[in-house]
Amino acid sequence: MTPMQAVVEVVARALVDKPDAVKVTETERRGTTLLELQTAPGDLGKIIGRQGRTAAALRTLLSVTAEKHGKRAQLDIRD
Amino acid sequence: MSLTAQITGFVQDVVNAMGMSLTARAEETPDGARINLEGEDGGALVRRGGEGLQALQHLVATAFRKQLGDDNRVVIDCNGFRRDKDAELKQMAHFMAEKARSTGVPQEMGPLNPYERRIVHLAVAEDPTVTSESIGDAFMKTVIISTKK
Repeated sequence: MTPMQAVVEVVARALVDKPDAVKVTETERRGTTLLELQTAPGDLGKIIGRQGRTAAALRTLLSVTAEKHGKRAQLDIRD
Repeated sequence: MSLTAQITGFVQDVVNAMGMSLTARAEETPDGARINLEGEDGGALVRRGGEGLQALQHLVATAFRKQLGDDNRVVIDCNGFRRDKDAELKQMAHFMAEKARSTGVPQEMGPLNPYERRIVHLAVAEDPTVTSESIGDAFMKTVIISTKK
């Protein structure tokens, strides 16, 4: 598992009610790592947060991680 | 396990997942728990005004919101970056309060986030002759410091 996938998974599991339903898949496309985060339907709001602030924080932490490893990453949040 | 120990464990898990060489250490302060991340990879978190650290702070507060409740707060720091920045902000608030008092002209600080505004309000409250007020309805607000009438 890459650090990008790991950080999204660790943080997402801590935010939701159903951590077992959290799934992060990773694909590489033209030098950018694309991460897809899936949660239980009722947990989506917990990941997004008020005014999308939690999702924004998760994306910031992901870019810090990617930058540290010389990569670029993008996060898709799916319901 | 205490809540602080649980949160410290989570913060350590997050930085480990990020592949960062950092160690989380907790200390109790009069204002609540402070978890300081120490190590050579701290620069990555404090870059660009500490946006990574701020993101981590928000995620920790959100993940532990229920356990923390309204009365407990936890501050995530990295190599003392937050502590130094907070001290600077407090000093600035004292300076602006003194300026408002001596000139009678209200002084503005900001835009500041809720955490920063709290520091300013607490610093201004130390002087009974001045008062502070947040202006605006967004997440970031300006704080006006003026003399009490």
